[in-house]
Amino acid sequence: MKNRTIARYEGTLKVTGQARYEGEMMPEGLLHAALVESPIACGELQSLDTSRAATLPGFATLVTHEDTASLKPSAATALIREKAIHFHGQPVALVAATTLSEAREAAKATQASIAARTALTQMGQALDQAYEPAMVGRFPASTRRGDSAKALSEAGLVVWRRYTTAVNNHHPMEPHAVVCWWEGKKAVVHTCTQAIFGTRAMIAHAFEMPPADIRVLSRYLGGGFGCKGQLWWPWMFWAMLASRKTNRPVRLELTRAQMFTLVGRRQETAQDLALGFVDGRLTAIEHDVIAQTSTHAEFSDSTAVYTRFLYACPNVTTRHSLVRTNEPQPVPMRAPGTAPGTFALESAMDEAAELLGIDPLELRLNNFADQDQENSRPWSSNSLRECYRVGAERFGWAERRARSAAKVGRWKIGFGMATTLYPAIRQACRARVALRVDGSLLVQCGTQDMGSGTYTALGQIAADALGLSMDKITVELGDTGLPDGPFSGGSQVTASIFPAVEAATSKLRAALASIATADTTLPLGGKPPEDLEFADGMIRSRSGNASERLTGVLARAATDGLEAEGESPATDHQKLAASGMGYGAIFVEIGVDPELGEIRVRRVCGAFAAGHILNPLLAKSQYIGGLIGGIGMALHEQAVTDAATGSILGKSFADYLIPVHADMPAFDIAMIDEDDPHLPGGVKGIGMLGTAGIQAAIANAVYDAIGKRIRKLPIRIEDCL
Amino acid sequence: MSSASFNYIRAAELTDALARGERAGAAYLAGGTDLLPLWKASLTAPQEVIDISHLPLATITRSGDALTIGATARLSDIAAHPEVKAHYPLVCDGILASASGQVRNVATMGGNLLQRTRCPYFRDAGLACNKRDPGSGCGTRHGENRHAVLFGGSPSCVATHPSDLAVALAALDAKIVVSSANGERELALSELYPLPGETTAPDSSLRPGEMITAIRMLNAARFANHATYLKIRDRASFEFAVVSVAAALRIEDGAIAEARLAAGGVAPLPWRLEKSEAALIGRAPTEEAFAEAGALAIGGARPLEGNAFKIPLLRNAVIRALQTAGGQS
Ligand SMILES: Cc1cc2nc3c(=O)[nH]c(=O)nc-3n(C[C@H](O)[C@H](O)[C@H](O)COP(=O)(O)OP(=O)(O)OC[C@H]3O[C@@H](n4cnc5c(N)ncnc54)[C@H](O)[C@@H]3O)c2cc1C
Ligand code: SF4
Repeated sequence: MKNRTIARYEGTLKVTGQARYEGEMMPEGLLHAALVESPIACGELQSLDTSRAATLPGFATLVTHEDTASLKPSAATALIREKAIHFHGQPVALVAATTLSEAREAAKATQASIAARTALTQMGQALDQAYEPAMVGRFPASTRRGDSAKALSEAGLVVWRRYTTAVNNHHPMEPHAVVCWWEGKKAVVHTCTQAIFGTRAMIAHAFEMPPADIRVLSRYLGGGFGCKGQLWWPWMFWAMLASRKTNRPVRLELTRAQMFTLVGRRQETAQDLALGFVDGRLTAIEHDVIAQTSTHAEFSDSTAVYTRFLYACPNVTTRHSLVRTNEPQPVPMRAPGTAPGTFALESAMDEAAELLGIDPLELRLNNFADQDQENSRPWSSNSLRECYRVGAERFGWAERRARSAAKVGRWKIGFGMATTLYPAIRQACRARVALRVDGSLLVQCGTQDMGSGTYTALGQIAADALGLSMDKITVELGDTGLPDGPFSGGSQVTASIFPAVEAATSKLRAALASIATADTTLPLGGKPPEDLEFADGMIRSRSGNASERLTGVLARAATDGLEAEGESPATDHQKLAASGMGYGAIFVEIGVDPELGEIRVRRVCGAFAAGHILNPLLAKSQYIGGLIGGIGMALHEQAVTDAATGSILGKSFADYLIPVHADMPAFDIAMIDEDDPHLPGGVKGIGMLGTAGIQAAIANAVYDAIGKRIRKLPIRIEDCL
Repeated sequence: MSSASFNYIRAAELTDALARGERAGAAYLAGGTDLLPLWKASLTAPQEVIDISHLPLATITRSGDALTIGATARLSDIAAHPEVKAHYPLVCDGILASASGQVRNVATMGGNLLQRTRCPYFRDAGLACNKRDPGSGCGTRHGENRHAVLFGGSPSCVATHPSDLAVALAALDAKIVVSSANGERELALSELYPLPGETTAPDSSLRPGEMITAIRMLNAARFANHATYLKIRDRASFEFAVVSVAAALRIEDGAIAEARLAAGGVAPLPWRLEKSEAALIGRAPTEEAFAEAGALAIGGARPLEGNAFKIPLLRNAVIRALQTAGGQS
């Protein structure tokens, strides 16, 4: 497989506004919907007074939990089938009207009467009610290897600290939207989702209809990051019910303010971490995580999971527990688990290095895990040490000591580093390719492009497999009419589609080869298939000076073109011979103004090893985007709940801070190409890696700059004064 | 007419606008960068919106020592104006530290001074706020109050005034020219912005229908050589001040002859630090003098649970601003 820089397949469509996002569909007779929200955080809905709303101009219909009774019970319909109020802003009804402003007016005029109960609005109020979930994602919630308590009591050095991280709210640029209608018993649903097939399955379950009668489309997404999934389904169902009641298409789009309550968040954590060392080697780790979940659903990030295997250590105990509060429900968010988890672990490693009087980088190298101790198997490939070496060299880490207490203008300079990691996983995938007689190729797969480059990657894999240029390729994604593809999440789309497209294109290559070699009077006649290569729109013989154009081959014996499907299985984690993991080393230089408390990131160097890189341009943009998200988590993002009411405060981008352009440091991205014999195509995910590690690297750099150890995120002015 | 709509009138003449502005439910619209977001969030519901952005009020005129800037001048135009840049750099600094380039291209001088507080409880119609809804309570006082005032708060309200420009203008003793159908009057910024009372917290002392028509500075160019606007915030741009300080000095023969200090982010109006100013007079611009001014700046500060950090921050900010202003030539 080649490594090539190819610009975005859909780039021109997007910058010229020709790419139609699903929320932009405006079918004839469209009704607009708005949500009626609960003004309190805990209680039970008694009644809804719609008498005034129903008389307002444009009013078409109202959907409530009573309408939802017709849907089959499931986790996805639970919240909308019952009268319980679990959080401030929870929708109690959907109103549809002729125009959006009429819908909003009618929603405002709808009076909910709610019997209030005392709400629990802060995790800190109920730490004693923490409970252990069954699983954290696909991992057990608690693990124990060796005897960490004993090892800690015998350790020469123990670092035992609490680290906390704030709620980060999901905010993709494109808000969640649906435009849906019914065609008889069939449903058409245009919606932003990271999982068209998952969405279709949930609709089929809820509405008790055959999946084949449902078409879900999500052809362009303005970002997902983990929030365009299950939390959206209830309100999408309500829009579908409104459409069924009125027999008209219905459109619902969340407002930016509603995104603070309805689409999910990175959960708040309080992490107790203990590291025990003997002679600079880790002998014990205990990592205890308490995190928030809502009163209506359960979610736990895999926060302490990576502590189980990042470093070599014989005695490791990890635990996750959850506290239920009347706050919005958390979901995975880019670098789920690894972002908060590495903040604690990689900060504690820095604290240990300081106490041991050793360079933080050296401490990490000394404790490198040369195999996956948690699963007792080798790594499929692991170039973490190479990441450390390359990153340190490009960044100039060696200057750290010499430069101590340096000042540039008002800034005290600090260096910090940390490790990032994320598992390489794959889902089942099918893909279809159709070669037309003019030599153009259609590639189809029912996955979706979150904006991260799936169109480009898919097209590129197919183009390379058949030796075609990108202008001959058409890619179709995001429609359940296409072959089943993976959901977009967990950084695994490229790894999943690669083997499926390879399988499909290799069938085409075989078919083309057999036509090309069949007639011995022609140049390629009689050549063995392994002698043929596909390049520049030709089939060529490697051994002799013989070739034929693909179009010629097709015109001779495949005038209707050729089609093939390919498929590949999901990763079975239990059965793997080796653990697949992507790694990175993050180095940052920051400036802190010690009198004014301001912190600015000056430069970041990330050295990443994540298997084979298909397209360095896409990869670089993923890494930089990921790092920016990580800077936001480290220094800016924090959703605050008002303790008295349970309302989220400052539901706008003027209040909820994310990094702006002026906060962008210089980024230096190094990509270390790996040959991974265990993974198909050697492809690992890259999307998560940039978003973890950087938080600890920044905290460590703050310590380096001003000697203050900050064990909470985000790090703000008041922390540095 | 529903609360979601209003009559839009594009005023052609000042007298017409002033006559309409007196009516109940009327609101002036200049750049709209604050009025429209407030309206969209159901925080204000004017029945008639009078667009004043086309009135001939965007001029800059100089007469003698006075500079008069028309109220509808765009922030970006004033910040780029050669005369303002040369003689009133503090005004440019204050503007350029505000909002974003896009917002400044639309927002006006008058509108900026009358933008409403950023208090998150005020900006959410579902939450208690005496300023928006007198008598409903103050969510900030016992809630999230990192943003709240150190000075000038009352039991009813502890919100800060968000304008950077106002802080710069306060340091230059600018006067606000206000017109109504009855004529014109001039207000100091301390008169424009009342302190919150026991039960209410009005944003300004303007009477119904009164319009800011101009901002006037008298002999303020004397500070041009020693003035700075320091704004402290969590990110590098596009954020309101956590704390800000406008410092303006006149240094004569190596001694401070006049000093003006105003702080933002700490009070319901630009907070003049008069004790610090007085302590500087006659002193050489030294670290010692600056440190003393910094220490005096925080006297009488009354923090809430979440904003005590603003006390050392304000002290340090005053010192830093004086170092910058005093160090210029
Ligand atoms: C995201 C964001 C970030 C921002 N950051 C900052 C910042 O960092 N610093 C800062 O200082 N500001 C900031 N602002 C606020 C911005 O500067 C103000 O919204 C703007 O200056 C208001 O001017 P305008 O002309 O748009 O006013 P409008 O929105 O038109 O009017 C504001 C108010 O003043 C009234 N009004 C307008 N003109 C007059 C007049 N001549 N006489 C009487 N009444 C009048 C209106 O009726 C309305 O009540 C920010 C705004 C946004 C949206
Ligand atoms: S501080 Fe003032 S503006 Fe904020 S909630 Fe209290 S009364 Fe309202």
